[in-house]
Amino acid sequence: MRNKKKDMVLGAFIWISAAITVVVLVGILGYILYNGLPHMTWSFLTTTYSASKNGSKGILPMIINTLYVIIVSLVLAVPIGIGSAIYLTQYAKQGRLVSIIRFATEVLSGIPSILFGLFGYAVFVVLFQLKLSIISGSLTMMICILPTIIRTTEEALLAVPGAYKEGALAIGAGKLRVTMGMILPCAMSGVLTGIILAIGRIVGETAALLFTVGVSGNAMPKGKNIFDALFGHILEQGNTLALHLYNSAMNGKDPVSVPFATASALLIMVFFLNRLAGILSRRFKK
Amino acid sequence: MEIKNSSFLRKEDLARRTGLRLASCLAGILAIVTLFLPFSSFVFDGSVIRMTGMQLLVSNIRLSADLLIVIPVGLRICMILSFAAVGAGLVLLGMKKFLFAGTAFFGAVIFAVVEFTFIAGVTQTASRAGVSSADGGMLYGWTLFFLLALTSAILSVSVLGLEKSAEMIFKISALISIGAVVIITIYMFVYGSPAIVQIGLGKFLFGTQWKPTAADPQFGILYMILASLFGCIGAIAIGVPIGLMTSVFLAEIAPKWVRSIVRPSVELLAGIPSVIYGFWGMKVLVPFIRTTFTKLGYSTTGSGLLAVILILSIMILPTIVSVAETALKSVPSSYTEASLALGNTKISTIFAVQIPAARSGILAGVILGVGRAIGETMAVIMVAGNIVQLPTLFSSVRPMTAGIAFEMGYAENGLHRQALFGIGLVLFVFIMLVNITFTFISKRGVQMNAK
Repeated sequence: MRNKKKDMVLGAFIWISAAITVVVLVGILGYILYNGLPHMTWSFLTTTYSASKNGSKGILPMIINTLYVIIVSLVLAVPIGIGSAIYLTQYAKQGRLVSIIRFATEVLSGIPSILFGLFGYAVFVVLFQLKLSIISGSLTMMICILPTIIRTTEEALLAVPGAYKEGALAIGAGKLRVTMGMILPCAMSGVLTGIILAIGRIVGETAALLFTVGVSGNAMPKGKNIFDALFGHILEQGNTLALHLYNSAMNGKDPVSVPFATASALLIMVFFLNRLAGILSRRFKK
Repeated sequence: MEIKNSSFLRKEDLARRTGLRLASCLAGILAIVTLFLPFSSFVFDGSVIRMTGMQLLVSNIRLSADLLIVIPVGLRICMILSFAAVGAGLVLLGMKKFLFAGTAFFGAVIFAVVEFTFIAGVTQTASRAGVSSADGGMLYGWTLFFLLALTSAILSVSVLGLEKSAEMIFKISALISIGAVVIITIYMFVYGSPAIVQIGLGKFLFGTQWKPTAADPQFGILYMILASLFGCIGAIAIGVPIGLMTSVFLAEIAPKWVRSIVRPSVELLAGIPSVIYGFWGMKVLVPFIRTTFTKLGYSTTGSGLLAVILILSIMILPTIVSVAETALKSVPSSYTEASLALGNTKISTIFAVQIPAARSGILAGVILGVGRAIGETMAVIMVAGNIVQLPTLFSSVRPMTAGIAFEMGYAENGLHRQALFGIGLVLFVFIMLVNITFTFISKRGVQMNAK
């Protein structure tokens, strides 16, 4: 009899815990979206921002800057990440070197982003004199997302059936051709999952970017010609969406609808990326 | 072997080797030329200032008596490294070590690419200072150097055969992670230790006064460390039971349709950016704590340790749930079946058999949660209240991470900024200990399961 009661209590505890998890999520999402969505108008998404009190409060520059950081970081990190994963799964013999590399990626994924921010500030901003700029931020983010890309790509490469590889090797293809022409394309959806997870991390990142891309870069890319505008912007400061949310929430100069609408935009982006990663990873598990 | 000896292939190989020697020698010559001939020109006030690579390497660009364009250290380092790489490549080529020569040339290419960013920066600074034309030979020289080094690299690869050089490239990219960890560790110590040495380790760690901008500045971070620790312990105390129970729910109890709601929720919870947690905490949690506990007779502004603990316990939930669920699922089903066969109920089997069997995996999840909670910055900074004082449940606090992020914006160069790097170093050491413990425990868990 006592056992039954104990079971009931513990069972209730388990159900309540699971309910708390869901309720907290719904609470956060509901509160932000309820207060933010009405203000997330088309003009909010497509106009520029000015810090003055009555200026335009759109977030187009932040969206563009976020895209910049995403693209530059991915250009830097994806080749390195895929290369590492290929080395770890296809070339390396299991031994000390591999376990050191694994340990290093684990350590990297455990370092909090504020420390990446400090490191990026010390090295890219000060030592290399790249100043507060999108390139400094992207170099910092490159290190942040490297472990994610390596791990997911590695898993995807390992999931490719060994028979494919053996078959290709048996008909005389070289190792490089087997890897690049056979195994990597087979693992593509897994690789893409990793890239999307990395994009999610960049979109939400604040602490690592706070002292590397600068928080006052609200300008649109501009220059003498399109080349200057496109590439020159990489050397300029660039406030991203998440940073903008932090700023406008903390400084209190913007009307309160601005952080809410920015948070909604961020949430929608994250939700979309999350679903995309889910769909892709399910496809590659098949 | 027979195929390799056919005359056609030998001719092609010969052409490659000749091309390789030519391109790499040109790159070398160009490197020397850039060093000693005044390639770079800056047009300023109608007069042309010409500088050799060597001059750029050792001095800054003096436009007039009081106008100086500083060459970034990074540019100098990259210049030296790319020249050295080409030189090494040439020597290795002479020794017929094509693999290493190719690697060296690729190194030169990478340094040349980094150069471009720096040169663009210098050009920008120069034009801001009033230089009307600052492209000069610098950019053209580097473009040519870059192309030659790239050609040499590709040709060494083709002499060597693709296979080996591809392996080399993959290996180098795998080594970058190790390099990153080593460099981060070095920099954390290089930038963090001067302040600690100057202030004194004991005074820094156990000092209770944090007055970085006072006339007689004090740098004691004890209250920040305590705030971080208390926040972390509180988050573990609340987050671990809920997370563990949720993972039990997902692994064992949930009906299928409920699981299909809870699991995506946990995944989404993991994906929400920390700044959004912070914003939500600031708008919902802080006012809630303020009104509730003021009614109960405590004086509190709402932001403080309690808010930090609550927000952190939500944030570590997904980590604990996913790690603990994996651990629970890897418990051999024979354990569960044996317990059920002895007449235990499902619930008591979970608590008496499955959780103890999965304890090392669960512990690993907890440690991962500790790491996340200690290192979390943005959510914490938005709800902590940011006052350095003895942390109590209802007082405003400033954990280490918040201290760094909060003050980097206005800290002057000098001891204050160095002290912030010192806090970073303390945090780094903490996190490394957590990381190593985690690796150790999760390895032991794997070994135990293997047995």
